This record gives sequence, C-alpha cells and structure tokens, in this order.
Amino acid sequence: MKRRLSLVLVLVLIFGLIGVVEAAALPFKIGVVTGTVSQGEEEYQAAVKMVARYPGSVEHVTYPDNFMQEQETVIGQILQFAMDPEIKAIVVCQAVPGTTAAFNTIRDMRDDIVLIMGLPHEDPDMIAGAVDFAMETDQIRRGANIAELAHRMGAKKILHYSFPRHMSMELLAVRYNNMKEEAEKLGLEVIDVTAPDPMGDAGIPGTQQFILEDIPRQAELHGEDIAFFGTNCAMMEPAIRASMEAGIIFPEQCCPSPFHGYPGALGIEISEDRKGDVDYILEQISAKVAEQGNSGRMATWVAPINMIFVEAGVELAIQSIQHGLDLSDQAAVEEAVYEATGIRISLNRYKDDANFYLVIADSIIF
Amino acid sequence: MNQVKKFVSKNAVPILFAIVCLLGVYYAEMPGQFLLMEIVKRMARNSFLVLSLIIPVVAGMGLNFGIVLGALAGQIALILSTHWEWAGIGGLGLTALLATPLAALFGFLAGMVLNKAKGREMITGMVMGFFANGVYQFIFLFLVGTLIPFDNPTLRISTSPGLRNTVNLSRLRGVLDNVWTVQYGFTKIPIVTFMVIALLAVAIWAFFKTKLGQDFRAVGQDRHIAGVAGIQTDRNRILAIVFSTVLAAWGQIIFLQNIGTLNTYNSHEQVGTFAIAALLIGGASVTRATIGQALMGTFLFHLLFVVSPSAGQAIFGSAQVGEYFRVFVAYGIIAISLALHAWRSKSLSKVSMEEDVTA
Repeated sequence: MKRRLSLVLVLVLIFGLIGVVEAAALPFKIGVVTGTVSQGEEEYQAAVKMVARYPGSVEHVTYPDNFMQEQETVIGQILQFAMDPEIKAIVVCQAVPGTTAAFNTIRDMRDDIVLIMGLPHEDPDMIAGAVDFAMETDQIRRGANIAELAHRMGAKKILHYSFPRHMSMELLAVRYNNMKEEAEKLGLEVIDVTAPDPMGDAGIPGTQQFILEDIPRQAELHGEDIAFFGTNCAMMEPAIRASMEAGIIFPEQCCPSPFHGYPGALGIEISEDRKGDVDYILEQISAKVAEQGNSGRMATWVAPINMIFVEAGVELAIQSIQHGLDLSDQAAVEEAVYEATGIRISLNRYKDDANFYLVIADSIIF
Repeated sequence: MNQVKKFVSKNAVPILFAIVCLLGVYYAEMPGQFLLMEIVKRMARNSFLVLSLIIPVVAGMGLNFGIVLGALAGQIALILSTHWEWAGIGGLGLTALLATPLAALFGFLAGMVLNKAKGREMITGMVMGFFANGVYQFIFLFLVGTLIPFDNPTLRISTSPGLRNTVNLSRLRGVLDNVWTVQYGFTKIPIVTFMVIALLAVAIWAFFKTKLGQDFRAVGQDRHIAGVAGIQTDRNRILAIVFSTVLAAWGQIIFLQNIGTLNTYNSHEQVGTFAIAALLIGGASVTRATIGQALMGTFLFHLLFVVSPSAGQAIFGSAQVGEYFRVFVAYGIIAISLALHAWRSKSLSKVSMEEDVTA
C-alpha cells in the first residue's frame, strides 16, 4: 500500500512537471518589440523575462534608439513578425511612431493576429482604430492625482518640466491641464519650465544637464516645498538625484516605477537574481531615502508600470488566443492582469468603441 | 587586370556596401518574401527623394541638405489637404500642386542664401534645415490656434494651441501606390509609383540635354569660366535649388502617402541625411552623381537597413546588439565613403599637379 501510494505520488509529480513544461511551450508564437536598454531598461528586461518564461515561443526584437528618425526601421521590425505564420500576436512597448502604420499594414495582410500596444506615442484617436488592445498610463487621471499627491506630501508649488514636442502629445497636454486645474483647487501653483528637447540638437545630455542645474536654482528661488514633475524619461535620474540633494518633493516619474531612475540616482546595485524584484527595490529605496534625510518627500508607484505592460500584453494575448478572453471586457482584463502579474491596476476606457485602456496603480511614499 | 583594378577603385564604396549587405542577407536568414516586400516598399518610398539631390550636385552645389525645406513644404501641403479632407489620387495631385509654389518659394530663398555662401553650400544647407524646422515648429505649435484661426478637432490639440503630433493621412494612404499594383506573393508592387520614379529619372536625364541643363553642368564644372562664357551663374544656382526643393516636396508626399501617418514635428528631420547617405553609398560624390548611383544607393542602403537587425541578432545572439550593429555598420560605411572621396580627390589633385609640373 505504501509502495503504491509512493508510486502514485511519483506519477503525480512527473505529470505535474510535464504540465508545467507544457504550460511554458505554446502552440504558437508571440512577437515582442521593445526599445534597447539605452531607451528604457524596464521594457527590455520584461521582454527578456517573457522569452525565458516561454522559451521558443516568444521572440524579442528591438526598435532603433533613433526611432523618431528611423521610422521605416520601426515599421520593418514589426512587420517582420507578421511574415511568420506561426506568430499569432505582436506586442509593441513602447509603441513609438510607426507602430500604427505597421499595424495597419499587417491588418491588410492578415486577420488572425492579435495586435497589442503599450505606451503608444501616436495620437490616441488614430491608434484606437489599429489595435486590438492598447494600454497607457492614465495621463488624464494622473494630472489630478499628481497634484493631489504633491499636496499631500507638503508641496506649495509644482514645477512642470517639459518641451514643445511633448506638449503636442494630446494626452500629455490634457494631463498638464488637469494637473493645473486640480492644483488651483488645492491652492498650489503650477510653474512651467521648458527644458531642452532630448531629441533636439543638444541631445539627452543637454536635457540632463539642464535638469541638474535647474532644480537647485528653483529650490533657491521657491524654497524646498516644491514638487518636481518632468514629462521625459531621460530627465528622471538627474531629477531624482537633484531633488534629493535640494530636499524638494518628488511625487512620481513620467512613467512611474520603482526601477525608473531611482536605482541609478541613489546608487542601488541590483544583482542579477534581484532583477525585477519589486519588494527588494522598494525596501532599498526607502533605506537610501531615509539615509539622506528626505523621507516622506520621495514617491513612486508600487508597480513598475512599463514592465507590467509587456508582461500583461503577452499574457493577455495568450489568454485571448487560447481561452477566448474578450479584450473589451474591462473587468475580465483587470482580473487577467492581476493573475498574470500579481499587481492590481485600475483601468479606465479612453473611448467607448475601442480597447484603449488607461491604467493607474497605487503610490508609495518612501 | 588594370581595368578590374580601375573598376574596383572607382566603385569601392558600393562594392564594399554590397559585400556587407550580402553577408547580412546570409546571416539574417530572412524569409525571401519579407526581404522582397521591404525592399520594394522602401525603393518606392525613397527613390524620388534621392533623385531630387542630383541636379544641385551637377550644378556644383554639393549635396543639398536643404531638401528638408522641400520636405517641409510637402508636409504643410499634406496638413492643409487633411484639413480640407482631400481624398484619393486627385487629392494627392492637388496636394502636390499646393506644395509646388511653397517649395519653389523656399527653394528660391535657400538659393539666395547659398549664393552668399559659395563653397560652403552643404553646411549652410544643413543649418538652414535646422532653422526652417524651428520656424515650422513655431508656426504649427504656437501660431496655429492663436494668431492663425484653426479649429479642426482631429488636427488640433484639444487643450492648447498647436497641431497634434501625428496626422492621420488615411484619406491619402496608399492612393498612388494602389492605382495599379501587381501582387507577387506577399509583395504588392506599386507600378504607378515606380512609373513616376522612372519618369523623373528620364526627365532628369533629358533635362541635362537641354540648354539650361548644359548651363548647369558648365556652372558646376567651373563657376568662373561659366560666368566668363556668359552664363548667369547665380541665377542658375538658384534655379537648381528650386528644382531640387520642389522635387523633394513631391518626394516627401510620395513617401508619406506610403507610410500613411505624418509625424507633424519629426517626419522631415532626417530626410536630408538619409537621402544623402543613400546617394553616397551608390558611389556618388560631392561633385558627381548619376541616376544609376542614386537608385543603386537607395537599394543598398535600405537593404542593409532591412537585414542588419536580424543579422546582428543572429551573429551576436541579442536583440539590442543587433540594433547597435546596424547603426555602426551603416554609418561606419558612410564615413568610409566620405573619407574615400576626400582621399581620392586629394590623389587626383596630386596627379594633376604632377602633370602640370611635367608639362
């Protein structure tokens, strides 16, 4: 009897293992397109993670660093996936300009492919027609949220760093307006600061240098109770460093995440096995912020949102292909994202007739 | 043997590039269908723009970085045509027509400036492109919706003045390409677009047979002698830039009708650099460019663009190394081609100096 039981147990174990292996190999392939690490480490690492989770079933390529100028290459990289009949879904994050053009072309060629965008850069009304599913941080609600958070953290003024190219993006312009409205209600003043465009002649270093030099200047002018908000990813690391030094308030990044800017600015080493470990990084940031005496004045979202876009994109594609998940069912999608990533996000539909969702997660103040 | 040597040294750049491309094709292991599709598309998109560079080179003005001005004219016309909801091939024709006087005006102004900066046309043209970009941004990000009344909700940012960063060209998307296409597997060959490109090539060839074309050539060979011979050099130089700018405007319209979306503030930025890189790779130089070189260069340059990400990935095993690989191979070879040109013209002048001495 004992022997038989152990045999059954062994068999259960073996079948269990086979089951796990089977779950990892998909009967189709998914293409993932992200930037390289020089543009955004998070999406890249998330894609690497997905390749490891589904070996042989997830293919990962990158778009050019100069994506604004080399749009044809962006389009080519995405289209390449559609040529492979085994590819049944494509996830692009960040969906830089050219993605819509590529998706439109793919639609002309094939109708059996799920097209997903994370963080689309192009106009929302335009992309809504091209995708099966798109996710973007909820810029519309964030405007008011940031003002409210800054107020809660003790800010009297908000410095909004941006440049014309970004302010011509519909959602960023709306976010700015909402921030201003909410700030007025709370009695905060929003101050515009125009930084050099990182895609302009001075490049990324020009922008970063400006941020490093300007924050101490503003702190001297307006006092320490000012909150920094910048619209561009390249600004984040210098901004966090300068904010810590000047003792001003930093409510969240442009793309909120504990991994965005914080590790570099605070000198947190992340070993290979800790990559993507959210709890560990939150703990480390807390310790460093406390060490430098700026507790209660630095914050971010609990979830690395860009990583979630990539992970959720791949998992939702699988769910929709294998189990017929209806991507227009908001509650089901929220649930599926929670199952896939373990993080609760709140979705908000941008437009009634398209699966373009705006995402918000909770903040954590260090 | 000597002939082979001569051929190789004369065409060193395209040969070098072709070898790298072939290696890329070999390692990338791309589906042939995809390769064909991408190349056909990119040739259809870019050939016209590259061809627009030839006339100023022959007229002795070097590589016209100022075609960015033409691209801007094309984009302004496209924005207006989207606003007025022009559609179809007729709409595209009207857009090109609308772009023509604008481009001619820009070209005229650019030509005037370049006449004041003889011998430094290329860098002047490049800086003019930056300047024009600034003016363009000022107009479309600030003046539109404030000084210029403009109330189109699909084009304007809803909360502040200025145009949205992307314009959907759905009414014009592919209208030229789709007039007559031949399907081959996945590849749709846009016959009419290629006919337009061929027409332009023939027109450029025929143009250099005319009196005006010959005058351009004479100005290009030696401005002073041409002047002494009674050719109005300054006027001809302005005309060369006007032609080039107008062609670039049309080229940009063809490019964007294929892509289908206009990045309001970025689509024009790299037009000059990419077209010029393609021309150089075809074996052209600052002083000599032919139609064959333009087409060959467009083909090779874009072939590398298509294969190098996958080739890099196959060789180095990492997605992002593939991307860096492409960048350094593409621009490395362009740098080599410029250096080779400088080296060759130096040795040529040495030879002619020696000849002078022996004579």
